Amino acid sequence: MKRWLLGLALAGMLGVLAGALAQTEITFWHAMSGSRQEVVNNLVEAFNTEFPEYEVNAEFTGSYAETLTKAIAAYRAGSPPTIVQVYEVGTQTMLDSDAIVPVYTLNQGEVDFGSFVQPILKYYSYQGELYSMPFNSSTAMLYYNKDVFREAGLDPNRPPRTFDELYEMGLRIVESGAAKGGVSFGWPAWIFEQMFAYHNQFYANNDNGRSGLATEAFINSDFGVQVLGEWQKWTQDGVLVYGGREYSANDPFLAGDFAMLVQSTSSLGGILRKADFEVGTTFLPRLPGYPSGNSVIGGGSLWVMKGASDEQLEAAWAFLQYLGRIDNTIAWHKGTGYFPATNEAVLTLLNEGWFAGEPNALTAFMQILTGVDTPAARGVLLGNFVQIRDIVGAAIEEAVTQNRDPQEALDKAAQEVNRVLSEYSELFGQ
Amino acid sequence: MQFKNKWLPYILLSPSLIIILIFLIYPSIDTFRLAFYRVAPFGDRRIFIGFQNYLRLLQDPDYLNAIVISIAFTAFVVIVGLTLSLAIAVLANQRLPGFAIYRTFFIWPYALSPAIAGIVWAFFFDPNVGPIPRLLANQFGTSLNWRADATLAFFLIATAATWKQLGYNIVFFLASLQSIPKELLEAAAIDGAGPPVRFRRIVFPLISPMTFFLVITNTLFAFFETFGLLHVTTQGGPGRATELLIYKLYRDGFESLRSGYASAQSIMLFILVALITILQFRYAQRRVFYQ
Repeated sequence: MKRWLLGLALAGMLGVLAGALAQTEITFWHAMSGSRQEVVNNLVEAFNTEFPEYEVNAEFTGSYAETLTKAIAAYRAGSPPTIVQVYEVGTQTMLDSDAIVPVYTLNQGEVDFGSFVQPILKYYSYQGELYSMPFNSSTAMLYYNKDVFREAGLDPNRPPRTFDELYEMGLRIVESGAAKGGVSFGWPAWIFEQMFAYHNQFYANNDNGRSGLATEAFINSDFGVQVLGEWQKWTQDGVLVYGGREYSANDPFLAGDFAMLVQSTSSLGGILRKADFEVGTTFLPRLPGYPSGNSVIGGGSLWVMKGASDEQLEAAWAFLQYLGRIDNTIAWHKGTGYFPATNEAVLTLLNEGWFAGEPNALTAFMQILTGVDTPAARGVLLGNFVQIRDIVGAAIEEAVTQNRDPQEALDKAAQEVNRVLSEYSELFGQ
Repeated sequence: MQFKNKWLPYILLSPSLIIILIFLIYPSIDTFRLAFYRVAPFGDRRIFIGFQNYLRLLQDPDYLNAIVISIAFTAFVVIVGLTLSLAIAVLANQRLPGFAIYRTFFIWPYALSPAIAGIVWAFFFDPNVGPIPRLLANQFGTSLNWRADATLAFFLIATAATWKQLGYNIVFFLASLQSIPKELLEAAAIDGAGPPVRFRRIVFPLISPMTFFLVITNTLFAFFETFGLLHVTTQGGPGRATELLIYKLYRDGFESLRSGYASAQSIMLFILVALITILQFRYAQRRVFYQ
């Protein structure tokens, strides 16, 4: 037994030694759990086989928040991962960190960033340059249960286009008894952000924090109050069923408890697989009277961290290029529901008839590609966005579940958010 | 015991002392220091701001809310938990057939970690797929959605925490009950004292040291060890209805990465619990009767 262990250890050490001599090893920390982790592992394995000179070690490091915390701790201890996946709310933190190697500095002309799907490219660009590699990009859309629509006497091919239509259809569904509720949301604070961009409203000053650090949030503007007021009205009339902060509204939607769900496009694969009813998808509903904007990119991107050797940077860049390659980004899209990153990949999918078989996969593309590109629609960058989203999430819950006046709830939240922003700019201001 | 080499005891003690220094003393001192700074997420920028973190805390409505909720939560866990455990311990102390089996069942929940207890409760009471809300919905048409109901959410975590501590409390109460001299009870019975009087005049005073001990340990549990339970159930929601101090600390320190602000909270938590413990010693000890 002992000898066997010794042999194993020796073999392992030899293997490591041999690897170290021949290969450049890099680490890749990510937050993709469940079926997404499998897709990541497959991509990494394929890369390692195709490029034997590099060895990517992918590691699942917990939730997005945990992954970022661990990466920061590792950076401070002097052993950061080469590549780390960071959620979109961590973007400003990474930009300001002085701990990153911006992706555009790695690009020696191998990749034409112009070929990236524009809203995705613009979200992760800061003042015209791409800082992190888009990886798991999503947006929000409306899912609906066509069977429930039929049962309630509604046209299943005529989903709501405006807030009022959604409310009336929801009421009809509840009153007809086709479902207990009308609609629910995943990630309510993110949906709130989506509404601002979708109606071309700034969420914060300094061009949504893109021309300089944001110091003031506009969440308690008339527009914000109107949106939250509508949501509150829907809840009081039984149309909106509050479903928790992340994905917890998916299960009751699948169980038919309510007819519509506003959720990230990254849930599409799971919902289509599990639903025993006909699933429809459509654009986010609009509030009439406001200009057109675009829905915002969410999800995460891949950051290269300082502290890597030149060879490791080369390996990291090779890996990032590999992930952006048409076949791989398509595999990623099909395996997870996230957007493929490049326009050629979208064209390839179109040519091979993917969207004809999966029309629901097209909805989100049509939504972001038919939107208007304006500063307000590119997505907001905020210092300590994690906390700000939490503050807004709590304000929404107070209004929707505890019947607090929307203006009051958002005023209080805005005050908190502005304090967070001013503390952040004190640290990072000029 | 006399050591020949006067350094030997220190050498023998050194491994644990070094561990305590590195993992307990040093971080505590560093926490005190960090609480005077505003620190950037990556720790590469910091501004000395004196007591601002503390002042900010005392003006933060969410923090004040967390204090109120933590105290209400602790009161629930201590009062309901100890009353229930004592009642069960008194019953379990009687020589009923099969009492060894009952006792084991009652002690069981203590073997679970708070996170596991949370998962069990989150599953049973899941508003959508949990068996208990489904059963109630089918039988009475009521809904038990703690994701949207602040009061329900609070009682869910408070009951789960109480249940989790039951086993621990029962074990200690049982041990204490069994150490009461039989002669005292018999003498009282001969003097004509019925069971309620015997409980009030003899049993309760004799187990008061144990009750006092349990009040302290349950308070510490409610303040410090409930993170796992919260994290897998309500995550402080809806709104801030179940955001206990320890969970706010986690949010600010490990999600928002504000180490200075979170350090100040950990110092405040330390002071608060120290205060409560001192008060308990002050006022409760007078009523505690040591044999």
